[in-house]
Amino acid sequence: MTDAIQIPSTGVPIPPPSIIEIVHLTRTIDTPSHRVEILRGIDLAIPKGQFAAIMGPSGSGKSTLLGLLAGLDSATTGQVLLDGVDITGLTEDQMAEVRGRKIGFVFQSFQLIPTLTAEENVLLPAELAGVGAENAQRARDLLHRVGLSQRLDHYPVQLSGGEQQRVALARAFVTKPPILLADEPTGNLDGKTGQQVLELLLELNRIEGTTLVLVTHDPALAAHADRIITLRDGLIASDVLKANQN
Amino acid sequence: MAKPSPYRTAAKIAWRETRASSGRFLFVILAVAAGVGSLTGVRGFSQAFHTVLQRDARGFMAADMTVRTFQLPDAKQLATMDSLAALGVRRTQITETLTMASPGPDAAPLLVSVKAVDPDAYPFYGTVSLNPPGNLRTVLQPDALAVSDGVLLRLNKKLGDTVRIGGLPFRLAAEITNEPDKMTGSLNVGLRVMMSRAGLERTGLIIPGSRAAERFLFKLPPTQSIAAVRAELQKVFAEGLIADYTEAHPLIEQGLRQSTTFLSLVSLVALVIGALGVATAIQAHLQQKMDSIAVMKCLGAKSSQILRIYLIQTAGLGLVGGVIGIAVGSLVQMVFPVFLEKYFQVSNVPRFDALSALQGLLVGLLTVLLFTVPPLLGIRKIRPALIFRREMAAPRRTVGQWLRDALEPVISAVVILAFVGLIAAWLSDNARTGRYFAFAIAGAMVALSIVAWVLLKLLRIVGRNLPRAAGPELRQGIANLYRPGNHAGAAVMALGVGVMFTLTIWIVQRGLLKDIIRTAPPGMPNVYLLDITAASKDAVYNLLEKQSGLEGKPEMIGAVSATIQSVDGTPLVREKLQGMARRYARTVTVSTAAVEPPFTQVLSGAWWAPNAHPAEAQLSVGDQAARLLNVHVGSKIAWTTPQRTFSSTVVAIHKSESVRLSARIEFFFTAGALDGLPAIYYGGVRAAPKFVPGLQKALYESFPTVTVINMAEVLDTIQGIVDQISVVVRFISFFSILAGAVILASSVAGTRFRRIREVVILKTLGATRRRIARIFSVEFFVIGTVAGLMGGLLAVGFAWAVLNRLLRANAPPDFMALGLAVFGTALLAVVTGWAASYRTLGQKPLEILRDE
Ligand SMILES: Nc1ncnc2c1ncn2[C@@H]1O[C@H](COP(=O)(O)OP(=O)(O)OP(=O)(O)O)[C@@H](O)[C@H]1O
Ligand SMILES: [Mg+2]
Repeated sequence: MTDAIQIPSTGVPIPPPSIIEIVHLTRTIDTPSHRVEILRGIDLAIPKGQFAAIMGPSGSGKSTLLGLLAGLDSATTGQVLLDGVDITGLTEDQMAEVRGRKIGFVFQSFQLIPTLTAEENVLLPAELAGVGAENAQRARDLLHRVGLSQRLDHYPVQLSGGEQQRVALARAFVTKPPILLADEPTGNLDGKTGQQVLELLLELNRIEGTTLVLVTHDPALAAHADRIITLRDGLIASDVLKANQN
Repeated sequence: MAKPSPYRTAAKIAWRETRASSGRFLFVILAVAAGVGSLTGVRGFSQAFHTVLQRDARGFMAADMTVRTFQLPDAKQLATMDSLAALGVRRTQITETLTMASPGPDAAPLLVSVKAVDPDAYPFYGTVSLNPPGNLRTVLQPDALAVSDGVLLRLNKKLGDTVRIGGLPFRLAAEITNEPDKMTGSLNVGLRVMMSRAGLERTGLIIPGSRAAERFLFKLPPTQSIAAVRAELQKVFAEGLIADYTEAHPLIEQGLRQSTTFLSLVSLVALVIGALGVATAIQAHLQQKMDSIAVMKCLGAKSSQILRIYLIQTAGLGLVGGVIGIAVGSLVQMVFPVFLEKYFQVSNVPRFDALSALQGLLVGLLTVLLFTVPPLLGIRKIRPALIFRREMAAPRRTVGQWLRDALEPVISAVVILAFVGLIAAWLSDNARTGRYFAFAIAGAMVALSIVAWVLLKLLRIVGRNLPRAAGPELRQGIANLYRPGNHAGAAVMALGVGVMFTLTIWIVQRGLLKDIIRTAPPGMPNVYLLDITAASKDAVYNLLEKQSGLEGKPEMIGAVSATIQSVDGTPLVREKLQGMARRYARTVTVSTAAVEPPFTQVLSGAWWAPNAHPAEAQLSVGDQAARLLNVHVGSKIAWTTPQRTFSSTVVAIHKSESVRLSARIEFFFTAGALDGLPAIYYGGVRAAPKFVPGLQKALYESFPTVTVINMAEVLDTIQGIVDQISVVVRFISFFSILAGAVILASSVAGTRFRRIREVVILKTLGATRRRIARIFSVEFFVIGTVAGLMGGLLAVGFAWAVLNRLLRANAPPDFMALGLAVFGTALLAVVTGWAASYRTLGQKPLEILRDE
């Protein structure tokens, strides 16, 4: 744990305030033919600055959970609180604003805008937040950090899967969000670039105090996390807090 | 640091997006350009043609408007006309009167009808041609006469000789070969001579109370409306007959009315087709943007920001497309007349109509925005979750939710329709037309969507129960229509609406041409014979038949002179009658008709059974006479003739729409009603203009008392105008149909992006190009056939209504067009769909996957 506060008189650790709190979260989908229960009741609290990895077999609901955290989808029942604010009741626009301020999101399938160049894609969230001008240099720096300084003017089609993944990462970082949610960020990367991306993530976590929630199948990546949450059939199967990280 | 303006940021992002994929935007731009282009082209040209047509029509009256009276104007009338003159309304006076002319001391005087004009002003439109060629102003000196053809022959004189009128000598200065307002003159009897007003004053023929017809010709400045001036004149000329140029001649009137309605209909259809092209292009464009929009939402974009970005983008595309469209439209306007040069004078057709260009641009932009806003407003509903599941199976909804969800598209449909109606009203200068048009579209849409829904449901059942032997292509082609996110219904709708309108134009065009040919038949008489006695009628007929240059069989109709004694028991007294009605106080010409004469239309009541022979005479009265005499179905009219008196009952009111002989008779009786009364015969024949003088001469030599009126020149000009109208109708229809086909084709082609992914997957799974092409062909064929069937059915109904109600042309429903529509649309859909997907078929799968 990075910054759990110790209260000297008792020595009992009081958990730091949670930046993400999930209460009895369920998600079911009614298709015309049958009902799919994707998440069946999740309770979870992630403190500020924690690096949590979500693992689990395919179809266990990891991407769904991450999407709910970012307010990209709405829960069937239960609550998601970000910084103590319940986001389940927010309107689409209020939610968009919350995302713009608090959340960086990396998709499993990149989701770059095909009609914008790498640099423009990275800059886009800053521009949407009205701080584009200040962040132009940061966008270039971030692309440099992920090894794409030669690729600023390339369109997504002209980039490989791994390169696109790195652009997506840079895009998630550009507004320095306090929370970064990433769905298999290294899934498409080779060992070396995977390592680069990991270092970037860790650095962000360490220097800027960003809370990281990653979905991953990669044990090497999970090994760096403070906490490993495993999902199975829409429920938390295990939640392991590692004692001494960093 | 100050935040940049949200519009600048949005514009920046919009611009970047556009720049990157100009290829795809090209499609949207072209669709808008095609829509705006056809709109400006058709409208601009219609307007130009209409201007020419109206100018020609004015020629037949030599003025914009005329007032005819049988008295000299009083002080109040003069004051009104002078106040109009102060507004720039020019006027000139024509006096027509009957008098005697004496060719010489030993020859008997002859009845002549004198037309006195002011050669400095007359005619306002058209020209008077003279033989020997000369200018009316210089020829028509106070002591000179210009005479109609045949007059010299009857007077037995030659040019330069002198005749006496009112005791004063007049020099026969020239023969009139063309007189623009010949048909609108008051007196078409006797020998017609024209003199100047100064000449008329010289004779002293006109004194207050003398029986002369006065005609005032008016020419309006562009600032004055016909209706306003007419209303002013109406106030003081209660007894006068006011007519404007649209009423110059029944054929012209009909031609103007029908072509005006037709052309504005075509313009409106061009508008709808153009809007359709724009709408489908925008829809396809935004469909592709849905993923990007969802991603932007994930990155913190608010709906308003996204709305701004895409509004700016589509407005920009609309603007560029609109400007290109105007260029195309102007080109079309310039090219049209070149094609039509053979048929009519185009020297004065305005080449570039800035107003219709501006209208086109505005309409284009408006429709772009109109069709952009509803899908963009749907952005609010795009769940960012779209990214995870591309095509979510719709969750089950409650009735309340369903209603709420259904309400939104209904509201936007109503808004769009209201706007289209407004635009239609604006373009047609007529709120009623706009309203009807919007209702027609709304009705068509509802009908189309219901039929589309039913047909597609049925087809699905068929597709599912297809035997294995039918082959995988057919099964999959049909199954393709129902894949989630495929808007087969929407495609069918768009195509159906397009087909409906283009086909409507085609059918209306055909019906209209048939009608025009029917009302101006090739054998229509252009030479009229008056005052043929019963004794000589067969001899005249035989003589006529023997003439060379005839273009149709001679017609002859017998008429009796009778006087109306009373109407519904009220005696007809000349002094009590007003204005034009007074002419019914004299003897009128009546005839019998066993059956309804051709080219008449019964306005109320009904014509009697063929060859009915009732004890008391029944009759049908012409609409004008009925109005002036206040006669209606059921009225009793009592008649007197020197031989006997008889009573009659009005059973019908009719209107004669043509220049046939029958149009000259306003009272038709049942057979037998006029038996025993002395009849005078009228004849009519169609002859080539250059043979008419020979015919006149032959007739004069054998039957000197028969008056011959030569309308050949005038009718030739009228025929020319009617021909122009049919050529233009044909041409404009052809263009609209072509534009419609292009736009429909591009809307089918526009759906290709949706298909690309499937092509790739099918290929990866080992499907050959041929097989894929077949699968798609089935899909396109089904869409085309369903759309063709529905659009065609609606078009047949719509066209029938337009022809029979709006254009008042009699035309039966055209079912042959329906078959053509189904076949044509299916073919169009398959060919264009296939052509658009052809490139996709040839591409390597990886190229496309990476292009995603
Ligand atoms: N809209 C939907 N309709 C039907 N089923 C759905 C829908 N969305 C998700 N599911 C189902 O929910 C389950 C969880 O999906 P989710 O994408 O969260 O899995 P995941 O754990 O991320 O899997 P992976 O590791 O393969 O990415 C899956 O079985 C999926 O089929
Ligand atoms: Mg997943």
